[in-house]
Amino acid sequence: MRLLLVEDDASIRGFLEQALTEAGYDIDTAATAASAEALILQGKHDAFIIDLGLPDGDGLELIQRCRAKGSTAPVLILSARRSVNERVRGLEQGGDDYLTKPFALAELLARLRNLLRHAAPPPKETLRLRVGDLQLDFVRREAYRNDRPLRLTSQEFVLLEYLCRHAGRVVTRAMILEDVWQMRFDPATNVVEVHIYRLRNKVDRDSDQPMIQTIRGVGYVLKHA
Amino acid sequence: MLRSPARTAAWRLSIWTTLAFAVGTALAFLIMYLLVENSVRERTDSWLKGEAEVLSNVATNSAQDSLYGRVVEEVTEQAAREISEEGSEKGQNEKSIFFVMNAENQPTLWIGPEPRESFLKAIADARLKPGIPQSIQVDKQPLPFRVVASSREHGSGIYLGLIDHAANNLLDRLILRFALVWVGMVLLGFVIAYASASRTLSRVERITETVARIGTDDLGSRLPEAGDSDEISRLSRTFNHMLDRIQASVNQLRTVTDSVAHDLKSPVTWIRGRLEVALSDSRDSSWREPVAEAIEGLDQMAQLLNTTLDLAEAAAGALQLDRRRTSFSVLVKQLAELYQPVFSDHHHTLEVRIDGDIPIDADVSMMNRVVGNLLDNELKHLPNGCHVRIQLTESDNRAELRIEDNGPGFSAEVRDRAFERFVKGPHSSGHGLGLAIVRAVVRAHGGEVSIPGSGSQGAVIVVILPVAPRTDAPTILQI
Repeated sequence: MRLLLVEDDASIRGFLEQALTEAGYDIDTAATAASAEALILQGKHDAFIIDLGLPDGDGLELIQRCRAKGSTAPVLILSARRSVNERVRGLEQGGDDYLTKPFALAELLARLRNLLRHAAPPPKETLRLRVGDLQLDFVRREAYRNDRPLRLTSQEFVLLEYLCRHAGRVVTRAMILEDVWQMRFDPATNVVEVHIYRLRNKVDRDSDQPMIQTIRGVGYVLKHA
Repeated sequence: MLRSPARTAAWRLSIWTTLAFAVGTALAFLIMYLLVENSVRERTDSWLKGEAEVLSNVATNSAQDSLYGRVVEEVTEQAAREISEEGSEKGQNEKSIFFVMNAENQPTLWIGPEPRESFLKAIADARLKPGIPQSIQVDKQPLPFRVVASSREHGSGIYLGLIDHAANNLLDRLILRFALVWVGMVLLGFVIAYASASRTLSRVERITETVARIGTDDLGSRLPEAGDSDEISRLSRTFNHMLDRIQASVNQLRTVTDSVAHDLKSPVTWIRGRLEVALSDSRDSSWREPVAEAIEGLDQMAQLLNTTLDLAEAAAGALQLDRRRTSFSVLVKQLAELYQPVFSDHHHTLEVRIDGDIPIDADVSMMNRVVGNLLDNELKHLPNGCHVRIQLTESDNRAELRIEDNGPGFSAEVRDRAFERFVKGPHSSGHGLGLAIVRAVVRAHGGEVSIPGSGSQGAVIVVILPVAPRTDAPTILQI
């Protein structure tokens, strides 16, 4: 996978380039809208990561210009703004995504994977999902560990489903709030932790192999042995 | 917005204008009438005086025999016919009067309508001066008599009087016309005054409506400016200049907060990123704990920074909201569900009562933050094992979110200043911006938040928001 990173701040560009390379992507970088446009139009990238505040122009206009010229690869927008305006939301509905600074690297990687997966055909709808010895039945809305029912509440089931669909990948609290509860805000209370804690109590209580793990400072991951 | 016309300034203005106009024209008509009456009376009076002189001479010089009365009567009749041209169906006797009074104040000759007593009484009451005519109202006579006295020797006198029908008719017609014209003028004046006042003031009303809309929605729109330079056009222009200045300072503030946000967030972003990379690379577990703590500290700092900047913008009315139609009921219900396990962890019972589906026009993530902050606030201040009730009701197009508990409640000094920045309770671990941002966001949505002084124990916080008009368009639910 080849990505283009457009970011004027050298320090941010530096650590992102390093982190994305370590994550297995090929990275090209650009610091200005003008140099980015030339690279985008080569058409060899699978996704773009674009900062909105570029020294020689607005990142959104760059995206629109490139879209008008036939570029179709998904875009992950980075913004320093606190509130995200409608123009960016419009892009989000078009399959693109945005992140406000500062962001968790894990979140950026997770969203990037989502974007790249969005570009691919969606997976077939299934009635059951199996991760290790964990099994989710979407018809009965019941989950089983080693064939023993876990008796989850509906919220816990949705949360576990989300973790299972991202099995092996780290998800952040912000991603959970956004995708499970559709909320983009940062509660002062550890609401997500409490939900995870309750879920973990039911999923991992009777097993010597815990599946839901906490990655401090980043988020959570569901792993199977 | 429709108001009863009696309460408008246009109505009051035109009432007062019309009143002044009515009084002025009434005075003008009165003066005119008096002048006309004077000149009309003068004609009668000069005739009366002349005839009285003649009659006096006749009476003095004629022999007081049986023909005397006949002579005088004829003279009087002729005189009356002269002055009053139109033939009256009534006899001349009822229009004119002539009598001679002797020294004992007894009438010696009487030509005129009966009964004499009422004439004599009225004339005696009037205290006529010789040679000066006067109008005298006599009992049982429909119209006043104009009477002149001319004195003779030995204290006796001659009295001549008549009803001047022509003059009375003329003056009556004059009064009637004056009254009709006056009423017409006053009505027309009122209509013109009301029309022009309400036309002028409707422009002021339009300005009020536009400015009210600009105040709550966007700062970009402006009042229409007419080419002429009357007071109201100048008002529009002045408002537009003021809006230009407000917009400029709001934009400047946004530029400043944006650049502060950008300049502070860029280093936070890469520091956080580097720490995260270090955390994932680190095999040394003694490193992990402090690095994770540093990341959490940076996150808190970024949140504080965001909230502070939001508050700065909100204080200047520059908070940027992405408002859309949403269901307040669903929003509150979802947050209550999100927080429910946390309340259970603290052994609180959480009771949620939501009346129906209440639509609001709101920035959803901002409103999530408002309700979330209020629930965070409850969790922060309540000792374990309390009862918290969330109640959402609607009345008079206002949505009321009421959150009450049976905890220790607000202390008096915190209650008065709870919504100010950096004010927090004695045991609060927060930064004291939670309720400040709640109030800022609620006010930016046209609502209000308050802490009613509750008679019972416990804390109550009430958020009031305007309800959005219900349309057939589907609301954006968050499910």
